Amino acid sequence: MGLLEVTNVHKSFGDTQVLKGINLKVDKGQVVSVLGPSGSGKTTLLRCINFLETADEGYLNFDGNSYHLPKASKKNIADIRKETGFVFQNYNLFANKTVLKNVTLGLTSARKIPAKEAEKKAYDTLKKVGMLEHMDKYPSQLSGGQQQRVAIARALATDPKILYFDEPTSALDPQLTAEVLDVMRDLAKDGMTMIVVTHEMSFAREVSSHIVFMADGVIVEEGTPTEFFENPKNSITRDFLRLTSVE
Amino acid sequence: MINENTMELLLSSFPKILEYGLKVTLPLAAIAFILSTVLAVIVAMIQYAKVPILKQICRFYIWIIRGTPLLVQLMVAFYGLPLFGISINPFLMAVIVFTINEGAYSAETMRAAMEAVPAGQMEAGYCVGMGYMQIIWHVILPQAFRTAFPSLFNALISMVKDTSLASSITVVEMFTRTKQIAGQSYNYLPLYIEVAVVYLLFCTILTYLQKRGENFLGSYGVRK
Repeated sequence: MGLLEVTNVHKSFGDTQVLKGINLKVDKGQVVSVLGPSGSGKTTLLRCINFLETADEGYLNFDGNSYHLPKASKKNIADIRKETGFVFQNYNLFANKTVLKNVTLGLTSARKIPAKEAEKKAYDTLKKVGMLEHMDKYPSQLSGGQQQRVAIARALATDPKILYFDEPTSALDPQLTAEVLDVMRDLAKDGMTMIVVTHEMSFAREVSSHIVFMADGVIVEEGTPTEFFENPKNSITRDFLRLTSVE
Repeated sequence: MINENTMELLLSSFPKILEYGLKVTLPLAAIAFILSTVLAVIVAMIQYAKVPILKQICRFYIWIIRGTPLLVQLMVAFYGLPLFGISINPFLMAVIVFTINEGAYSAETMRAAMEAVPAGQMEAGYCVGMGYMQIIWHVILPQAFRTAFPSLFNALISMVKDTSLASSITVVEMFTRTKQIAGQSYNYLPLYIEVAVVYLLFCTILTYLQKRGENFLGSYGVRK
């Protein structure tokens, strides 16, 4: 069953066409990894799907409802965002809030959930990402990996139907990357639906149910991890994999 | 050197000067500062949110106020308002003029502080389902206020001294009171030095309060 489907997404910044007609379908429980060289439009695609950028053209079908991306109303956008979670490359934790408040704010302010109930929910998700003992600290007192795990807990706390990850480990060293990827692996095991923009090839290969490879604003190739990594059909894909794979 | 008479004058005038400092100068500065900060936050938010028309009005207000001297603004209010049938007591008029004057400067301080909050904070708020005003209230303003606090307090310290200009619209504040005493005694310099010391005392206390305030607001775990 398709939970999310985008069709014909176009986006330009000035004269630069960043997305040139993207189609992407994500079923419930799927982990879709979006790979590709820098500047290929992966992040822009993710941002357009969650309306952080307004696409010039394209449709979004989310959870049975269809929306014209450039024309979606504020109300529609707010409703969609309440059903989705977004994890940023540079975490974007609320700098003036403790770890606990970072997780509860979306519940207490946006959803009017009582503080006690929100905190209970926050304890659960912080425990899941292994950050419960740091709940009274401020973001600036945490390592990058810890901040990113809190960001994941914050996104999880709102019970999203789908989680978007925008290069969640790009700012982290290998050790911190591993701790974040471990959390994401657990989420995948729990059946969380995810779109992951990433450069972590081995993670994509191991965890994804579907791989999408983008270059220059179009999807060049897609398929299961096995198809994609073992038998890439496109020459751009082959070049990219040759450069990035360590194996 | 200071003779006995001067010493006596200084001692006898000190409570009178201090009285007007505590009764007029400080309340004028404090009330105008609080009101101007509220005004500044509103003006800064309108500009931050780029509200059409209102934003232009705000820019116009800031342009007028920053481009004219405070003394002139006091005079225009003093002679202008009665023409519109508005007669209010000079203290209240001083509060209004100081509020409007300081509001323009502090609005720019607040706007800069709001714009200094990284865009990612707003996006993160949207992505957990929060609305624009919720993000402004819970995330942007607290961070901006922390950044702006030293500058705002700077403005308060300036204002304590600028209240002496209120004498021009017949408000008897600390400096005017000192002038009156000096005029009676024909001994000007020692009294002006004395009132300078009282201003300095006030500002020293405010500087201490600023430090306390900064500690109270905290720095969100950032090591200083």
